[in-house]
Amino acid sequence: MRKKNLNFILGAILIGIVLLLVLVGIFYTPYDPNAMNGSIKNTAPSFAHWFGTDNFGRDIFSRVMEGSRTTFFVAIATVAIGTIVGTLVGAFTGYYGGALDSVLMRINDGITSFPSILLTLVIISIFGIGKYNIILALGIVFIPSFARVVRSEYMVQKEMDYVKMAKLMGASDIRILFIHILPNISSMLFSTITIGFNNAVLAEAGMSYLGLGVQPPDASLGRMLSEAQAYLFSAPWYAIAPGVMIVITVLGISLINEER
Amino acid sequence: MLLDVNNVSIGFADTKPMQMVVNNISFQVDQGEILGIVGESGSGKSMTALSIMGLHKDTARITSGEIRVEGNNLLSMSENQKRSYLGKEIAMVFQEPMTSLNPVMKIGDQVSEMLAIHTRLSRKEQKEKTLEALFEVGLNNPEELYNKYPHELSGGMRQRVMIAMAMICKPKILIADEPTTALDVSVQAQILALLKKMNKEHGVSIILISHDLGVIRTMCERTIVMSQGKIVEQGLVEDIFRNPKQEYTKKLIDAVPSIHKKMVEIETVVQSPSKVNGQVSKMLSVNGVNIYYYQNGRIRRGVKKQIVKQASFHINEGEVVGIVGESGSGKSTLAKAIAGLNMFYEGEITCTETRPQMVFQDPYSSLNQAKKVQWILEEPLKIKGGYTKQERRRLVKEKLSEVGLLEEIGNRYVYQLSGGQRQRVCIAAALMLHSKFVILDEAVSALDVTIQRQILNLLMELKDKHNLTYLFISHDMNVIHEICDRVIVMNEGKIVEQGDTGEVFRAPKDEYTKKLLAAIL
Repeated sequence: MRKKNLNFILGAILIGIVLLLVLVGIFYTPYDPNAMNGSIKNTAPSFAHWFGTDNFGRDIFSRVMEGSRTTFFVAIATVAIGTIVGTLVGAFTGYYGGALDSVLMRINDGITSFPSILLTLVIISIFGIGKYNIILALGIVFIPSFARVVRSEYMVQKEMDYVKMAKLMGASDIRILFIHILPNISSMLFSTITIGFNNAVLAEAGMSYLGLGVQPPDASLGRMLSEAQAYLFSAPWYAIAPGVMIVITVLGISLINEER
Repeated sequence: MLLDVNNVSIGFADTKPMQMVVNNISFQVDQGEILGIVGESGSGKSMTALSIMGLHKDTARITSGEIRVEGNNLLSMSENQKRSYLGKEIAMVFQEPMTSLNPVMKIGDQVSEMLAIHTRLSRKEQKEKTLEALFEVGLNNPEELYNKYPHELSGGMRQRVMIAMAMICKPKILIADEPTTALDVSVQAQILALLKKMNKEHGVSIILISHDLGVIRTMCERTIVMSQGKIVEQGLVEDIFRNPKQEYTKKLIDAVPSIHKKMVEIETVVQSPSKVNGQVSKMLSVNGVNIYYYQNGRIRRGVKKQIVKQASFHINEGEVVGIVGESGSGKSTLAKAIAGLNMFYEGEITCTETRPQMVFQDPYSSLNQAKKVQWILEEPLKIKGGYTKQERRRLVKEKLSEVGLLEEIGNRYVYQLSGGQRQRVCIAAALMLHSKFVILDEAVSALDVTIQRQILNLLMELKDKHNLTYLFISHDMNVIHEICDRVIVMNEGKIVEQGDTGEVFRAPKDEYTKKLLAAIL
């Protein structure tokens, strides 16, 4: 009991810090995140530049604020696509079964059987590089895992007597699916969403690191890591700042999720 | 004296102050005796039994008292000493034969494991003894069973296996916790007979825990009545039945539906109005209905299996008609088809009521756990449409008081309600749209006797008030006899007999009906 509470508090503090940075970053950053200054390239952390500066003399703290926002936006949008489409697919296949279920689940299996990076690459190569296309690509990759979990929950719930009661009342299928059954699987859905969010943060970082996601000069945590690579030994603070940010986010969400 | 439970109290340590579930109970069991422990759920009877075996939950603490077996105090023994006692000297049979056997272990291995733990017999000797034990509990081809898995056995057979397992080390005490509650009536009679045989032939003392007074009465000489963690009465069963001293025991005995009781009351029952007027209008007629079930149907339909064969009957307005039969007889399948939940049938089902409603057995699964009672009861009105928010509130409030619930119940979630309260909510939900025809599918089977009595009374009250018609499905012959005008007996998907309840019970024509009636306790 006590240990669980501690996890929750710790997770909430971590996520609170990240959210604070992201929210403040919308209105105010200490420096313009994209303003270059040749005279202060790769300087170590100081009072003027808390996290130091990068190879173009940009303030890393400001870029972390901006980058976290981008990464969060991509992650939330990705999970939203996965959750909404996945829930729809899972609900219908789980509830109705039959031919629809067989067809959609085979497509699902098909998607899952590709390594997710490869699949993302394929989709990116079709739609092109960019922030919105990476959301679309990752979203599609995320659908099957949501669909499968939701489907199995619906298969269990549809046999419950309360569903039969609803049918006898004359409730339509859509009403049964989304008003009667959905609230019953919400706790399961919540934990799937948080795990999905974490994976999306990591996936965005990975894609931007590969240069397929957010394009320069815009900042994202993955983009920054990618740029920092060349200066890993001469300016280690460049990699540490976005790296720690990713760790804090993922750890914070995992801790909160554990509490449930 | 074989077992001496002296002043035992048990409480749960995870709540403060400690919540006591068993308070200062003392009883003794003699050599070769069958002692009954009777009480409703939550009375502490199972906790008492589990604590003798040391199987109580980790959070439960035995705060005082001693449990002595042949003079040795189990509570002061080390874990190792205790382990050699459990299984060997004291064995237990549980309620749920589905979950009390390991599903991935062969029957033979499970039974002989007892011997492997408690004896030094060779593998061959173990197998011989296991086969003997299986045969002794009435399983006729033990050789074949030895290599089977639990899911290949029926509920009754599994319970026999459990008894074989419990008895194989020739224990001195056998604790049977609701051993027949999950079984069909005719199987129940067989299992009880088997327990009695074990008692006679091996002299094993049995502690029989049951909520069913009928079971206690046929099996035990002496019994303990428990309520809210206390022993309220103990003594000879016949004395207690004939002359209960405590209010609680009286209430318990009165609540039991019984054939004998109805025979006395029958004169006072007023004939239902539809019969008196001579004008009979049909509520439901079922004509030559066959119902199928498709196994493993995915894209193509799988194997077609017939569940109900050529069912024909009718129900008049204002009647209560019972369908009785054992599990697998097709009675629930037939009910679902009538309610419109199963469309795979041939034949004709016509019902005057456009929206027949159902009340199900398990009040846990038949209400939406994620919603409050108010929402659940408003839902039928919302679906029908045309009610303002105030009207819906008012109607729900009226319905709640009609089924004997307080208005505040509306603000509760389902998991905050007791079983009886849940079943009342189910009934309220079924009646929200003024349906005249309600199918009660084992609606009182999962409830304690006193709660069962209240729900039966409520159903009868509502029937008179709204002129309802009930189709009452049950495996409990006593309940059927008490409330049904007519009864339909089903066996293996066929209707084998139907007629006035009194006549069918007095002079059954079909062999199967006779068997069912003979199994009544």
